[in-house]
Amino acid sequence: MKLWYSFTKELKLASKSFYFYIELIFAVLILVIVLFVIPENFNSTTTEYVLLDMPDSAAAAMEESFLDEDLDGKYENTEIKVKKEMIPVRLIETEDRMVYLVENEDDLEKLADSKKQLGAVIRMDESGNISYTYYLQGYETERLKNLYKVIHNSDMATLEAALDDQEVRTISTDYTVVSDRVNTMPSLLTFNGSLMGMFIIAAYIFLDKEQGIIKAYAVTASTVWQYLLSKTLVITITAIVTTAIITIPILGGSANYLLMLVFLISTGFFASSIGLLLSAFFDSMNKAFNAIFILMVMILVPAIAYFIPGWEPFWIKFIPSHYIITGFREVIVKGGDAGYVLLLSLCFLVGGFLLFIWANARHKKCLTA
Amino acid sequence: MITVKNLYHSYSKDDKYAVKDASFEIEKGEIFGFLGPSGAGKSTTQGVLTGLLQLQKGEVTVAGYDVKKISNKMFNQIGMSFEQSNVYNKMTAKENLVFYSRLFDVETRDPQELLDMVGIGDKADIKAGEFSKGMKHRLTFARSMINNPTIWFLDEPTTGLDPAIAATIKDIIWEEKKQEVTTFLTTHNMFIADELCDRVAFIVDGEIKLIDSPKNLKLQYGAKLVDIEYIKDGEPVKESLSTIEDKDRKKIKEILDTYEIQTMHTKEATLEEIFIKVTGRGLV
Repeated sequence: MKLWYSFTKELKLASKSFYFYIELIFAVLILVIVLFVIPENFNSTTTEYVLLDMPDSAAAAMEESFLDEDLDGKYENTEIKVKKEMIPVRLIETEDRMVYLVENEDDLEKLADSKKQLGAVIRMDESGNISYTYYLQGYETERLKNLYKVIHNSDMATLEAALDDQEVRTISTDYTVVSDRVNTMPSLLTFNGSLMGMFIIAAYIFLDKEQGIIKAYAVTASTVWQYLLSKTLVITITAIVTTAIITIPILGGSANYLLMLVFLISTGFFASSIGLLLSAFFDSMNKAFNAIFILMVMILVPAIAYFIPGWEPFWIKFIPSHYIITGFREVIVKGGDAGYVLLLSLCFLVGGFLLFIWANARHKKCLTA
Repeated sequence: MITVKNLYHSYSKDDKYAVKDASFEIEKGEIFGFLGPSGAGKSTTQGVLTGLLQLQKGEVTVAGYDVKKISNKMFNQIGMSFEQSNVYNKMTAKENLVFYSRLFDVETRDPQELLDMVGIGDKADIKAGEFSKGMKHRLTFARSMINNPTIWFLDEPTTGLDPAIAATIKDIIWEEKKQEVTTFLTTHNMFIADELCDRVAFIVDGEIKLIDSPKNLKLQYGAKLVDIEYIKDGEPVKESLSTIEDKDRKKIKEILDTYEIQTMHTKEATLEEIFIKVTGRGLV
């Protein structure tokens, strides 16, 4: 019963607190950003400026091949402003490329330089040999530069034939493709739903320490774990509410909400226990600032890795937020691996429980210090 | 009700003790004053007794419970009024008391009755955050009685209160004494201690210098003081000197022989003067 009274009291106080509204505002802000700022799918169209430096007949043939891919099969004559100069171009728009055909190499260089995009000169000598000159921006990867170097060692017809001859077999079809918008959700849910609680719970405890309330609690017949758990429960409720604010409008009926609830509770408990432990080692938020900052940077790294598919160092697997992100990913995709999520939930519950025991022991020692 | 034997406490966990070798016993129904200047070790001792600080060295029992292996049940029997008000500002006065009443396993007192006792009954439904400092202090004081404590720890219970309210608080302490509540009163206000305490302990630099009743202390020191006002080098000088200590007696003789006496009379020493006499220190 004491736990219940502490919990209802904490819930009442939290509903009147600054931090609670910060969490709600943050959740609404995330929702607005995801719905109105992040597109359903990121635009992957590339822009290229191309000069065809070749006899008219050859140029016409190449332009014809470009037009085959154009969305409406026609050029669009237009002008691009570079500083105060208007450069005439012809636009060919395909599904994944915007190709601007320019008149001379000087214009090409100006456009590639000012628009920070790829420029290419396709030359044909008198013998009919084709050569390519690329204007790069300097930040392209060595892989891309090497690709440009090797791609033109054979003529395009040979390359295309080789591509056509290659057999591509799909080993697994048991996956779901999610939109780019939905793909941002796992990291957002990790921070809003689970990890935000870590800082908020520490803030609540520091506030109690500053106001001396914790001392008054310490001389009652209630136990430290009841005090800590009541705060954890409030944080969990807040996480559920804010996660619902974000997920329901975005995911609608496509997510496994029961699984999400289980995962949210377990990861929220784990994160709250870290927050409780953190608050046991410091007297105030100011003194804990360095530790909080290091922790924040550490838990942010897996989110960065999540958005850079080619970068996933092995040590990232030692950071819990990596697994929270991967767990949420499984939760939000249709047919996600529920077994994996439940296993992670169990691990986070056990880890959270151990951390909670440690935090309880530590707080018992220095709750009022 | 409270037994303390050879209590030591160091915040830095070395030999820089905030409390050194403190020993005393407090009987049931007694009001025991723990007196000393700021930083003397009063709050540290009280902290150990209430379990707010870990017992490092020594033996302490409170209401029969060994503080070394503190039990939550002990807190059903103790009440603690803090010097710094620490109530939930976003809850009303009544909600504060109702919440705390639920954290004990014993029969608790009616929150409204307690608020009435300390003179803020009509403010029961007002948020504590809107209270003045004095009202918050009274709410903190009222909260300390919510569980009908048999041992009551009071830390500067009248500090910051106007004289009328302070008198009410003193009356409540007297009433509780009639109910055989044991009171551990920490203060640097010697007048309060003089009025309320059955016995007082003087603590300075973590060491208890003396434990006795205010009455005995006055008998021992009071009648043997003489206040002298005299003119020295054209300036009036006022001194309080003992009539039994050799050093003071010689000084009295010297003053009488040498200077022009303006007033001279024996008097009953205040507890503050006795404290200064015994410890060589003031109370600030």
